[in-house]
Amino acid sequence: MSAQPQIELVGIDKHYGSFHALKNIDLVIPKGQFVALVGPSGCGKSTLLRSIAGLESITGGTMKIAGAVMNGVPPRKRDVAMVFQSYALYPHMTVEQNLTYSLRLKRVPRAEAKKAADEVAKTIGLQQLMHRYPRELSGGQRQRVAMGRAIIRNPKAFLFDEPLSNLDAALRVHMRKEIRALHDRLGATSVYVTHDQIEAMTMADHVVVMRDGVIEQQGSPLELYDTPATRFVAGFIGSPAMNFIPGTIAADGQHVTLEIEGVAALPIGRNLEPGRRVTVGLRPEHIEATPGTSGQIVLPVSVVESTGSLTYLTTDGAPELTVVITGRSDIRSKDTVGLTIAPERVHIFDAETERAL
Amino acid sequence: MTRVAAPKLLLVLALALAAVYLFPLYWMYATSLKGASEIFANPPTFWPREPDFSIFPATWERRTMDTFLWNSLVIATGVTTLTVLLGTGCAYVLARYRNPWIDIGLFAILMLQVLPASVMITPLYVGFNQIGLLDYPRTAVIIAAAGKSIPFYIVLVRATFMSVPSELEEAALVDGNSRWGAFFFIVLPLARNGILVLAILTFMQAFGEYIYSKSIITTQSLQPASVGLSGFLGPNSTDWNGIMAYAAMYVTPIILVFVILQRRIVSGLTSGALK
Repeated sequence: MSAQPQIELVGIDKHYGSFHALKNIDLVIPKGQFVALVGPSGCGKSTLLRSIAGLESITGGTMKIAGAVMNGVPPRKRDVAMVFQSYALYPHMTVEQNLTYSLRLKRVPRAEAKKAADEVAKTIGLQQLMHRYPRELSGGQRQRVAMGRAIIRNPKAFLFDEPLSNLDAALRVHMRKEIRALHDRLGATSVYVTHDQIEAMTMADHVVVMRDGVIEQQGSPLELYDTPATRFVAGFIGSPAMNFIPGTIAADGQHVTLEIEGVAALPIGRNLEPGRRVTVGLRPEHIEATPGTSGQIVLPVSVVESTGSLTYLTTDGAPELTVVITGRSDIRSKDTVGLTIAPERVHIFDAETERAL
Repeated sequence: MTRVAAPKLLLVLALALAAVYLFPLYWMYATSLKGASEIFANPPTFWPREPDFSIFPATWERRTMDTFLWNSLVIATGVTTLTVLLGTGCAYVLARYRNPWIDIGLFAILMLQVLPASVMITPLYVGFNQIGLLDYPRTAVIIAAAGKSIPFYIVLVRATFMSVPSELEEAALVDGNSRWGAFFFIVLPLARNGILVLAILTFMQAFGEYIYSKSIITTQSLQPASVGLSGFLGPNSTDWNGIMAYAAMYVTPIILVFVILQRRIVSGLTSGALK
């Protein structure tokens, strides 16, 4: 992976009338990197992707693709390929015509375009379908054609707009791997928009979490998981979601008092200003549960769910806590469990600013 | 009533209603073939006793129908061309952009459709007279009639354009096409059916246009067949089989076009509504 940036966004702003959709976005994507933009719907991730494609104009900032400034350049001159959520295959063209459309626009000779189409079809397994129309294909096949249409152009960047959201769960997991493998094989630069944090975590080298038009945090998937910068990122990354409990830093500055009745202060492994109002974040998979009353937090269990490989416990009371246990557990609902968590695994966020402390 | 009987009953009802609707058409063809005395026979005969087909060439000659039909054709072609050229672009813009001004525009267009031709003709006549357009009466009629048919065309073609997903256009833009190219090579082919059907409907409507032609075109050699037919009818007219023969020759081509294309017309009109 070279360090030369393929896509460079500096201070990107986008207004829709009075609505501020993108606020001062800075993002550098090196050549060959797979970047995922994640966030809840309406956070601006799709708008950002469409701005990179040139389908939306930006109101401020500088956008560079392969070193050239792209502000105001129409999509056709940007040399990027996009895979749409609905696939957007041309219904009046066969698979082959769909694949070669961009080449025909570039006036590539017919024989050459056909050869390129055959090669791409072999890569993504479409050889038998070249003369079919999109309406005669299954969802997964359409998805492949949409991918093929992007690959054939050998573009400067691939842009994916939630490409897997119309597929069923099993196919989605399969295509996830396939897209990532394709990205590596082509040495491509990809920007991938999704609202599914698992997709982002498993596929991307670099994850960008967005919220309300700003980048909340960006980094490698594990960085985001281990050291979330804000309560929002902490809650968004990881499944099941992190438990949040309001609390106050104890007088010694090294413990936090949780707002759960009858629970002793938790050691936090760092020194914070006593009396500060905070939110404590505990990942379900970092909490150890033992039957009985020995542990830092002792609570009755209300629900026990098992998937076979994992067991989910939900405790009684407010706020309820979720705990994940690997494998099986003897704990039944109405039992009392003792929960323990290592001090370095305790996430603390300021109650006001929601930033990590 | 059993479940099986209901569709049959509906079919009978539909046939009965169709018979009522189509009876005038049948009566036109039947009367044109009857002799002068048979037309006024009481009780009337449902089938001409001695069909006389020579009435058609005779009427064609006598009423100079070739000139009238040619004028109708010129006017209908002109109206259709103008409507399709102006209306398609307008419908596309109204389908793709959403803001308050577009809504106002759409409302104004719908209002235009509400105004009847008989109300519009007076101001139009005065206006055309002032700019000297009455010296080119067929052109004046084409402009006036196109103004009347464009709103209908826009509203329905807009629905067709709205059924073409905008993501297809965006895909074409990213694939390397220009805004114009995406419109002509992606959107237009996909909206082709709807546009074709509405062009045919516009043509058929303009082919029968009467009010504007009657008011604006005074030279007989420039009048369309609809005006020619009305000149045939007078307070003392007795030439009923001639009138019916004229009417039959006038509407038969339109009916044929409609019958041949009816499947496409029905699917085209509903394509915007059903997806």
